[in-house]
Amino acid sequence: MLTSINPTMKAFAVLIPALLLAVTYDPLTPSIYLVFTILVTFLFSKVAFKRWLVIFSPFLLLAVSFAWMTMLHPSEAFSGGDVLFSIWSFQVTSESFWAGISLGLRSLSFAALSLLFILTTDSTKFMLSLMQQCKLPPKLTFGILAGYRFLPTFRYELQVLRQAHRIRGVGRARGMKERLHQFRRYAIPLLANAIRKAERVALAMESKGFTGEPNRTHYHEMTIHKRDWVFVSVFFVMFFVSVFLSYQLGFLNIFGKQF
Amino acid sequence: MSIKHHKRLLSVENFSFGYDSDKDHILKNLSFTIHQQETILLIGPSGSGKSSLSLCLNGLYPEGIEGNARGDIFYNGTALSHFKKGEINQEIGVVFQDPESQFCMVTVENELAFTLENIKTPREEMSGKIDDILHAVGLTEEKHRPIHELSGGKKQKVALASVLLLNPKLLILDEPTANLDPASRFELIELIYSLKKERKFSLFIIEHQLDDYLHMVDRVIALSRNGNILLEGTPEDVFYNEADLLKAEGVHLPRIVETVLDLHDGKVDETNRPLSETSLVAWMDATGETMIPSRKNSPPSDQRANELGEVLSLNHVSLARGKQSILKEMNLSLSSGELIAIVGKNGAGKSTLLQGMSGLLKPKSGSRLLLNKKYEAWSEREMRQVMGYVFQNPEHQLITDTVYDELAFGMKLNGVDQDQIEHNVTRLLQRFHLTAHKWSNPFALSGGQKRRLSVATMLAETPRVLLFDEPTFGQDAQTTAELMNMIQTFQHQGTAIVFVTHDMDLVDAYCERVYVVGDGTVVFNGQPDELWERPDIVQEAKLRLPFRVRINQLLENTKQQGAERAHANIH
Repeated sequence: MLTSINPTMKAFAVLIPALLLAVTYDPLTPSIYLVFTILVTFLFSKVAFKRWLVIFSPFLLLAVSFAWMTMLHPSEAFSGGDVLFSIWSFQVTSESFWAGISLGLRSLSFAALSLLFILTTDSTKFMLSLMQQCKLPPKLTFGILAGYRFLPTFRYELQVLRQAHRIRGVGRARGMKERLHQFRRYAIPLLANAIRKAERVALAMESKGFTGEPNRTHYHEMTIHKRDWVFVSVFFVMFFVSVFLSYQLGFLNIFGKQF
Repeated sequence: MSIKHHKRLLSVENFSFGYDSDKDHILKNLSFTIHQQETILLIGPSGSGKSSLSLCLNGLYPEGIEGNARGDIFYNGTALSHFKKGEINQEIGVVFQDPESQFCMVTVENELAFTLENIKTPREEMSGKIDDILHAVGLTEEKHRPIHELSGGKKQKVALASVLLLNPKLLILDEPTANLDPASRFELIELIYSLKKERKFSLFIIEHQLDDYLHMVDRVIALSRNGNILLEGTPEDVFYNEADLLKAEGVHLPRIVETVLDLHDGKVDETNRPLSETSLVAWMDATGETMIPSRKNSPPSDQRANELGEVLSLNHVSLARGKQSILKEMNLSLSSGELIAIVGKNGAGKSTLLQGMSGLLKPKSGSRLLLNKKYEAWSEREMRQVMGYVFQNPEHQLITDTVYDELAFGMKLNGVDQDQIEHNVTRLLQRFHLTAHKWSNPFALSGGQKRRLSVATMLAETPRVLLFDEPTFGQDAQTTAELMNMIQTFQHQGTAIVFVTHDMDLVDAYCERVYVVGDGTVVFNGQPDELWERPDIVQEAKLRLPFRVRINQLLENTKQQGAERAHANIH
């Protein structure tokens, strides 16, 4: 299962292919990888399809607009080829068309890879693993964990603040100037509270004997097993498989160079 | 007490501390000693530096901040500054006031593990230690729960457990029960007491509400407003001999002591000075006192008779937050000049109800009337003019840069002319003792001043309804008394007042009616005296009988038993 893969290893398995994909400019390589990622997500985890789709759909929109922009405003390198169609004064050539499609598919691959990581990783375990495997300083990791707990509090406080101001008769802000003024009014109490809370948590952590030194024992020992290496390898190998497939089919294009 | 023969654990010698080097120290020339197994109670008015002292005692200050300190604190004969970082924290633990900001992990188990990791406990031993401490504080069931889902009382037990894992020789309690409902508060104090007996650590307690701790205290240290030691001695000597001095500093006296002094006009026999509720009852029985009289101070009824019109009502109102239903089918009615309390356990929906009444939260169903007009028919501005709402955290309501602007804000909004504004603001500044701070930034005021200002901002015009969310929370004796005084003045003027509170003594002394919220609805609505007769509701809603009623009931029981014994002796 994806949830039991070591988080640091999972991050590598996701990050490296994503970077490599960035240099493949053809549409086929990212599509193969996209399909692979989605398949892995649903075959090896309990992520509900509906939830995944809800989070994925904004990226879909983003990818389409990326693709569209690239088609209309291609760089010199991709403006060759026959004119496929034209809109107003814009002419979309076959090369720019495929460059756009490829960019859209690459964005979607990134999104799918990120979701695979985010939806199957426990934040606490990720931090613990970063500390134990990557030797990140405990000050940083526990700091992030403590800060993470504040996010919902922040939203709640903003809501209370809005209500409190409404009671004072402060209406909805109109216009830029008023809005800026309102932002300042919200920011001061929110920040004042955040600083106070941060101070309190820091004191509480220190009073429990936390010094920030890396030499500490671990309750959850985050270890790297064989299956973690297998997982990373599969993701790497799959990248080269998709590159090889596009090469065989004559699509492969790296950095704008056709192979 | 035999404590004096114990070894010294911590000694403070001529210690002064301040946050700013160019300002006066806030703690001045303190010298005192904490012995092994001793329990010390530290009292003093808000802002006297009690919390700062507690952080100095375990070495977090002045190192953690840019503070400056003079003098020394020795732990077992070694100056605190000579300990390595983190070392002293294993000897001296602290439980803080705010249950929301003491943790850095998500689940109970991981939070406890965090402490053990800090002190480099071998991994194999961790599980056993975590289970043991969870058993000791009674949280075995909650081991895997996320901390943020727990009630305030349980959160504080988690904080206590994680500190106890360090096995400290001295435990500092910085008002850990201030945010808890009455029953949870009592439970936590009892737990601390039994753990202390078992583990034999010293205790250093900082508190405003003293009664429940009193029976375990060996020595009391009182700080003055200026940060000096005002008094030090046994609780009997400090509270019974120096009551006037403490009152003048704005410190709450324990109610047990207050009762005895009230009943005997300040003259008490040196040999019998009660410090626990049972000894108070025995004392009252012996001295022939029959009961503590009710101190209800409601306005004379003739003045109110012509004003008793309904100003606000809720009919079958259901309230929800998002999809989560909080309160169902609520009915409530409020008359002019009435003072009612809303009580219930942490998370029962008290604040939600208040927001429903204020019009900030729209109900899912039901109808609401304000001055015989539907809420929906009111314009926002008109509604805010007849109804005030004071939030729990006064900072949330401050929106301008000076105290003057803060008070004038509402009037400017309503187009009051400049002379009238000037006149009203001056009056409000005087009434709320803020004249000296007219041009100060509201955020720079002290806690009590901020509270007063947030109330004052609601009073540009005399409102018909005033809603308060825990108005006395975290205030010292003087601020509480001032605030309740003000609230009563409005009541006399015909304003209807509603407040949410955990303080049953306040309810007992001031309210005519009390609503108990629980299980998503109103489970009780009536006079406080009727509520005190319903132990089932009191227990279910995590309330506690007020001090007066507790003592009177105990006294009655004692007398009855005495009578029975006498009766049995005759036969």
